[in-house]
Amino acid sequence: MPDNLLSPSDKLLMPPRRGALLAALFNPLGSLLRRFSPFPRPRFSALNLALGYIAISFVALAAFAGPLWFAWREAIAQGRAELLREEAVWLTDMFQKHGPEVLAQTIDRRVVTEPATGKIVLFTDASRNRLAGNLHNWPADMTDSGALQAVWIDSKGVPLRVVLMRVPLANGYQLLVGRGASRFQRLENFFIWGLAGSTGIVLVLGVLSGLLIRRAFMAEVHNISQTASAIVEGDLSRRLPVHHEARADKGGDNELDMLAQTVNRMLDQIEQLISGVRNVANAIAHDLRTPLTELRSRLEGLSLSRPPAGLAYAEVEAAVADVDRVIGIFNALLRLAEIDTGARRSGFVQVDIAKVLGETAEFYQPVAELKGVSLTCAVPATLRVAGDPLLLTQAVGNLIDNALKFSHEHGVISVVAQQRPDGAVALTVADDGPGIADAEKPRVSERFYRGDASRGTPGSGLGLSLVAAVAKLHRGSLELSDNHPGLRASLVLFSPAA
Amino acid sequence: MKVLLVEDNEQVAGFVKKGMVEAGHAIDHAADGRDGMYRAAGGSYDAIIMDRMLPGGIDGLGIIGALRESGSKTPVLILSALSDVDERIRGLKSGADDYLVKPFAFGELLARLDALLRRSQESQVATTLSLADLRMDVLSRKVTRAGRAVNLQPREFKLLEYLLRHAGQVVTRTMLLENVWNFHFDPQTNVIDVHVSKLRQKIDAGADKPLLRTVRNAGYMLSADD
Repeated sequence: MPDNLLSPSDKLLMPPRRGALLAALFNPLGSLLRRFSPFPRPRFSALNLALGYIAISFVALAAFAGPLWFAWREAIAQGRAELLREEAVWLTDMFQKHGPEVLAQTIDRRVVTEPATGKIVLFTDASRNRLAGNLHNWPADMTDSGALQAVWIDSKGVPLRVVLMRVPLANGYQLLVGRGASRFQRLENFFIWGLAGSTGIVLVLGVLSGLLIRRAFMAEVHNISQTASAIVEGDLSRRLPVHHEARADKGGDNELDMLAQTVNRMLDQIEQLISGVRNVANAIAHDLRTPLTELRSRLEGLSLSRPPAGLAYAEVEAAVADVDRVIGIFNALLRLAEIDTGARRSGFVQVDIAKVLGETAEFYQPVAELKGVSLTCAVPATLRVAGDPLLLTQAVGNLIDNALKFSHEHGVISVVAQQRPDGAVALTVADDGPGIADAEKPRVSERFYRGDASRGTPGSGLGLSLVAAVAKLHRGSLELSDNHPGLRASLVLFSPAA
Repeated sequence: MKVLLVEDNEQVAGFVKKGMVEAGHAIDHAADGRDGMYRAAGGSYDAIIMDRMLPGGIDGLGIIGALRESGSKTPVLILSALSDVDERIRGLKSGADDYLVKPFAFGELLARLDALLRRSQESQVATTLSLADLRMDVLSRKVTRAGRAVNLQPREFKLLEYLLRHAGQVVTRTMLLENVWNFHFDPQTNVIDVHVSKLRQKIDAGADKPLLRTVRNAGYMLSADD
């Protein structure tokens, strides 16, 4: 309830020290709230969390105690005024009926106690000399304005706060009735101290819980940062500690564990990528060394032996072929890198699978005929996927190329495509060649991996890597299975036509 | 033929210059973008070989863009180390006519340049093509050799058409892959050779003079001369 709705006398009832107490309580609260205002954003920490908790508790406390306090005060003030008014009416009535002498006697008979403990009455003549009552003289700071006033009086040398009502009587006689303000002081003190006590408890609990949360938090953060430091220093096998396995479907009950698990999955991926890069770097170095060694020895041989022109030109041509092999490997790697970035997904168009497979199979048909291999292609005309036609052609070309490379005479290669129940489109090239041993299957799509069967055949060891990369670009995979006998290589595409 | 080479790498420039002179072309060389722009705008060249990344304030694509802006139709071949498909598309969209990635074989460069020059000279597309006693009607899709009908499959027809349109020129395997099959990758086995030898059997079988010949270290050529 706003102050200005209270009567002026009630305002005086509020001792100054209580206002100061409230102000002291609300000012730091205000500054706390300001800390949590959106600009600038506070740093998140356990301390801020605790301060926020305290601030919110204060607001809740104030919301509860404030209205209660004002309503209570109002009730007391009204009750007191009522009491005094009734007493004043009764005494005035007696004065009017029986005159000043009877009133003075009645007052002296009825009011025998000291002002501090009970009612206060003072009956004076026109010049404010005491005629009866337990006040010895007219209070010095009592003004003429206002019927109800709170003043300090002297009660046996002790200053006493009282509420007095001035009742002017006929012929200048004056009557004061009142009550000690301290009558409700104990209740008020009870209220104030209760409020202060609960405020203190909130403060202590807030600070304590803040410190506890901070300690628990710091321990976890310390763990994480230690592990991260170890990883930075090169120990990629380290993982963040997870106390309780958080289930992905239920979200788990520990947020830090969830974070740790996510970070661990990220670390798994990074470790895999880095070891992949390391392997590829080794493989590149190894695969390039072979043609470069040949090239070097050829050129060195030329410069040492200085053969006749015809022979020299043959050697130079062979050297050019060596360089072309190196360039071929680089081109394949660049193409793979280009696919791996996923940037080409932006250029996806509707691809007619029948057209891609048909044209690619047709392209390799003469080679199949030359080898005496039957190459057939059967694709439903309606299949469409969103994809990169150039890359799909190259991937299918690589698969057919591989199948041709390993086919026996009179072998059979079939190129088919079908839509699976889950919506994926599988482009399959199946042959009846030697196939790939189960143990080797996961490895053949690694970069530069050459299976036992392919040693000594031409190729960079990147063909199936490219197919796998193209499949990944189309959110699919390269599936290798047994064709009894032979190999079924399926390029599974999971990017349905829009 | 007069060709302008805009290339800042001296070794590449020397290699191309020597080769072009040996092939009987006149060649001018600009070593930076500004000189290249100046010469391309001023001289009347039959074709321009353009590097992309150039010193001198303006790059290859900038020069091509400015040339096309001013209405020049001189065929331009980009010679660049930028090999991504997106980069090629950017190059061709800027107004270039062909794109060759470094490192390259000189035979490839020469063959592509010849094809560009031929294309710019042929203003209209002929519907009947012939070489010696080999005749092709593009519209009715009929081919005869010495009056005898040759039965070709659609792709073989397209292959022969491309070779006939570039008769007397060397055509590389990559050019055939790109223009006949629209394939932009290098098949690991020499599929092109098999296709060409099949075509050769059909058109040269029983003829007294073979027309389709293999050019060592370069590609193929359809030619009536010996």
